[in-house]
Amino acid sequence: MSSSAPGSADPAPCPEPDISDEHSWQEPHRPAAARPAPSWAMLGLAAATAAVAGVLAVVVGAATGRPVLAGLVAVAADSLVLLVYGGAAVRAGRAQLRERAAAELDAEASHNQLQKLIDNTAAVIYMKRIDSGRYLLVNREWERLFKVGRQQAINLTDRGVFPRELADQLRENDLWTAEQGRTVQFEETAETEHGSRTYVSVKFPVLDSSGEPYAVCGISTDITEWKQAEAEARRLAAELETRVRNRTAELEASNKELDAFAYTVSHDLRAPLRSLHGFSQALQDDYTDRLDDSGREYLRRLQANVARMGHMIDDLLNLSRSTRVELVRRDVDLGALADEVAEELAAADTGRQVTVVVQDGLHAHADPQLLRLLLHNLMSNAWKFTGRTGHPVVEVGRCERAGHTLFVVRDNGAGFDMRYADKLFTAFQRLHPAAEFEGTGIGLAIVARIVHRHGGRIFAEAAPDQGASFYFSLEGQMSERPEQTARPVLAGVQ
Amino acid sequence: MTTPESAETPASGASDGTILLVEDSPDDVMLTQRALRKNNIRNTVVVASDGEQALEYLLPRDGKPLVPELILLDINLPKVNGLDVLRAIRANERTRYVAVVVLTTSSEERDIVSSYDLGANSYVRKPVEFDNFLEAVRVLGLYWLLVNQNPAGIRTAVR
Repeated sequence: MSSSAPGSADPAPCPEPDISDEHSWQEPHRPAAARPAPSWAMLGLAAATAAVAGVLAVVVGAATGRPVLAGLVAVAADSLVLLVYGGAAVRAGRAQLRERAAAELDAEASHNQLQKLIDNTAAVIYMKRIDSGRYLLVNREWERLFKVGRQQAINLTDRGVFPRELADQLRENDLWTAEQGRTVQFEETAETEHGSRTYVSVKFPVLDSSGEPYAVCGISTDITEWKQAEAEARRLAAELETRVRNRTAELEASNKELDAFAYTVSHDLRAPLRSLHGFSQALQDDYTDRLDDSGREYLRRLQANVARMGHMIDDLLNLSRSTRVELVRRDVDLGALADEVAEELAAADTGRQVTVVVQDGLHAHADPQLLRLLLHNLMSNAWKFTGRTGHPVVEVGRCERAGHTLFVVRDNGAGFDMRYADKLFTAFQRLHPAAEFEGTGIGLAIVARIVHRHGGRIFAEAAPDQGASFYFSLEGQMSERPEQTARPVLAGVQ
Repeated sequence: MTTPESAETPASGASDGTILLVEDSPDDVMLTQRALRKNNIRNTVVVASDGEQALEYLLPRDGKPLVPELILLDINLPKVNGLDVLRAIRANERTRYVAVVVLTTSSEERDIVSSYDLGANSYVRKPVEFDNFLEAVRVLGLYWLLVNQNPAGIRTAVR
């Protein structure tokens, strides 16, 4: 059982009843008003009349020489006068009584109306004296919840209704409200037949005619369901966060594993290859006179395959790297990058003349290193697949398609059948026999991964022996990396 | 520790053109020595097959540090790895200027960055193809043993 610290009435969600200084409920045990008395003027008049009558009687008595009679007459006259006056007074009193009864009837009607009003609400409404803590008023919902009738409730304090701890807490809240002299909101919990319920209680002091608070009125609204929903939402959010955290940790762990794997590939798988290549070279160099042509040819094939495997390992590393590295976008001169790559390709393959045309003013907002890797793979493909073309041309440019800016790497080489286009960007899928065009089958997978990491898209257009065009964009709707954590925003209660 | 090319070990720590090859793979030791020989690099080669041996040679506990002309340092090594060896070399006053070329199979960015962070003079990835490796060793030897002005000779003045 608990009760929140008192809060100001300010919190927006609960509309504050406009009750600040108005006495919505009068004290029921108001002392009865003083009985209306005949006015002093009338009493004076009656006395004067009686005196005059008395004087007259005395005078008459003196005149007649019969004082006793005169005295009697005087008394009678006085009595008569007083009697008459009394009748008038009684009449006046009756009228006032009638008025008063009517007024009381009105008050009762109004009281009944109010009682009806507070009895027919789902809120729990009650009023307690400040000094004694005794209940002055409860509504039907209060009676229903706490199984105490209003007749019994009157004169009970909270201790007579609730367990001691809760009762003391409620009393404390009431006194705080009285002390504050304004409307205060609390969160209170009480045991009812429906179990523990949570209420938001709006409490305000009720003032007597001298402006002093004598009671505290409270309106408590059951927010248990809302609290439960809120707790559930909190729980779900926490669970979601935990799940996201776990998933992130898992991803990080698997990323680390991938990292370790890539490192192993990089280091440990290449080392034996180096030995294979090195010692077969040593055989060729030192024992060439003891080998015939076939033996030397076998060694050459051995070395070619070792070299090929070395390239595959490098490509796999690049594929892994293009996924792992953090994407850092900058403004990149894509044209300049393409020129550099073209120079590299020409330097590595001096036996060929390939015309490379790079359009002016190609700029992108992308990760420079990844973009370079992308261009290298696309352009070396173009370079490679124009190997049997008469006048090989590789173009790097830009074009507009359906309102989107796309970069394009185009060649006039071997091309491919568009029927197999869906296999293009999958690792180890090759559309050409290795004998025709060497390759690891990983290059375009690297390209696709880099494009996707940039949130762009890539597609190709080609036909056999009519060259191929690879279109790609580097920006799109997709985020570059999934958000690490999604922090749900919950509105607080207090 | 072996000195297959020459039995002599520098006695006083004076640099006499010794190459310290820190390499755990016997194959790689043989291939590196072959590549040096093929390139007519005749300097004494001392081989340490793990990081601990390298440190024992370079920074003997009971003697003056031995300062080779050039250290060819692999990174993935048993016991004490190459980066820790490099750290120890740079931390010691007498060996801090010796030329260290990291010669490894790794091209991982973190290895490259760590090596330079710790003061490597150069980082060379061993190529798979032997002819490329031969060329790399030729250039390395030419540059670090001939072209480059080695600080080993002036280390006393520096101290």
